[in-house]
Amino acid sequence: MTADLSFWAIQALNALQLSMLLFLLSVGLTVIFGLMHFVNLAHGSLYALGAFVGVTAAGLAGSYWAAFVAAPLVVMLVGILLYLTLIRRLRSAGPMNQVLVTFGLIFVFLDVFSIGWGDIALGLAEPELFSGRTEIFGIVYPTYRLFVIGVGLAVLGILAVIVSRTQVGAVIRAGVDNDAMAACVGINVERVFFWAFCVGCALAGLAGVVAAPVLSVTTDMGTAILIPTLIVVVIGGLGSLKGAIVGSLMIGFVQTFGAVLAPELAAILIYALLAGVLILRPAGLFPARG
Amino acid sequence: MFYQTPLKTAAILLLLTAALVYSLVAGFFGLEVLTEVAILVIVAIALDLVAGYGGMISLCHGALFGVGAYAFASATVLLGWDASIGLALAILTACLFAWVIGAITARTHGIFFIMATLAFGQMGYAYVFESRTFGGDDGLPGVPRLDLSGLGIDLNDSFNFALLCVALATVAYLLAAALLRSGFGRTLVGIRSNELRMRALGLPVWRHKAAAFAISGALAGLAGALAAQHTMFVSPGLLHWTLSGELLIMVILGGLGTLVGAVVGAGLLVFLKHEVARFTEHWHLVVGLVLIAVVLGGGRGLYGQAEHLWERRQAARKAATAAKETPEHA
Repeated sequence: MTADLSFWAIQALNALQLSMLLFLLSVGLTVIFGLMHFVNLAHGSLYALGAFVGVTAAGLAGSYWAAFVAAPLVVMLVGILLYLTLIRRLRSAGPMNQVLVTFGLIFVFLDVFSIGWGDIALGLAEPELFSGRTEIFGIVYPTYRLFVIGVGLAVLGILAVIVSRTQVGAVIRAGVDNDAMAACVGINVERVFFWAFCVGCALAGLAGVVAAPVLSVTTDMGTAILIPTLIVVVIGGLGSLKGAIVGSLMIGFVQTFGAVLAPELAAILIYALLAGVLILRPAGLFPARG
Repeated sequence: MFYQTPLKTAAILLLLTAALVYSLVAGFFGLEVLTEVAILVIVAIALDLVAGYGGMISLCHGALFGVGAYAFASATVLLGWDASIGLALAILTACLFAWVIGAITARTHGIFFIMATLAFGQMGYAYVFESRTFGGDDGLPGVPRLDLSGLGIDLNDSFNFALLCVALATVAYLLAAALLRSGFGRTLVGIRSNELRMRALGLPVWRHKAAAFAISGALAGLAGALAAQHTMFVSPGLLHWTLSGELLIMVILGGLGTLVGAVVGAGLLVFLKHEVARFTEHWHLVVGLVLIAVVLGGGRGLYGQAEHLWERRQAARKAATAAKETPEHA
């Protein structure tokens, strides 16, 4: 029975780890969706970019922590470049043009990765500090995976405090709720959008470098995680932090436990969940807009 | 609003002649490419019908295409039925699947519609990928082609099969054009322009949207069945959302909401892929950059831009003659 219990505990930790990864990605995407009404399909590619930059940085500096710092920064810079060249122009262009241009970006990134880093799966060694295994609650679990969960929870905590307790958070919430009104009371909405976008990109890069030691770094890792991330965002409700948290946990747990309990159905479950939510509550579970 | 303008007729006749002439001079590889284009033309027309005229930007047409292919393959390979029954089944299954998606998503708009169609498409992909019955990610090999030996036509010959696909693509265009010229087509464009007003006029909007999606799905299913026969093999990749994205790219490159643009775009994307592949394996990069350039450049697409210029010239000419006539009347 204890063996049985520890099996489920490990699955729960796995689910939590996946959820945290999805959270890091979806929180950036949801703010970009909610604040800027911008559909960024290339968000997954930024995540992959974070992983690739991480591999290179760790190779140059010989330490995982160099990658941990460099990846979010480089991805944010690339994000700023994209913002200035493409995204600002597409703000009012309608969802279809945004989908198309960012789909084009996916293609471009795919080949940039394959030209720059080759088509062979790369690995990133986990930091020594968190290598090996740890025993918690009587189960043995890889330490690095606990670190992934820790990073996710830390970001979650910081964002929750910023969004609900600070003036910056109030400005962001105002922008999501009604951007025209926010602009009327003197908030530079455009600048808020820009900084939210930068933070979103940096978090995508962070997710990439954090995921790299657990998964292998491949050119298509961005497209693979994009769909679950989009599902999290839509289920949670565009622009809602709470939605991103709940959505990530739902998808993470459904996907992990689905794979254990009903392998044939697991792959369909998350899509069925999304379809169900869209039919019953088209604006998501926690719509940010009133 | 759709009109079969002289420009559209001329463009279609030109493309058809080009396809026929090409089929006579092309070798085996050329005929394979022509078949691929003709099949994609059918799906692209199906997509333009709902996206360009109905305003429903679907990201599940790859899945509808794949459902058609799988329906055909399972009827012929797994059940051993005749290919003609398989074809009918493919069209019917994709049509039904599309109707359900259309009916459920009819209330959603914009990004939510895109996401919902994406979800349904991926659901189909995930199901086929995991399903042992349908061969999982190995797919189903050994798909037979239609048997037209009664008419003295051997479809295992790539020339004959290419001609069949071109003929069916032409039929698909004529069908779509006829549909758009009918009352139903006008209604569909009305829903795209102002859904609230159409609803206020007493129109059951969702029923029209679902019907349009079903018709589009039937065309996609037909194309899927042809694709299964073309490669004689089906795999889950046919249902993947990236194929839906590529279909959308075709329609945009050619010109959304012009019908002829879908035909041009399908040819253009396949041509781009093959031509770029001759110089470098990185065709994704080139296609991605071309797509971004087209959308940023106004998003009319190749044929769309031509039609836009032509219409502007027509309007200018009309204005000039009107201006000439006014002094006499005054």
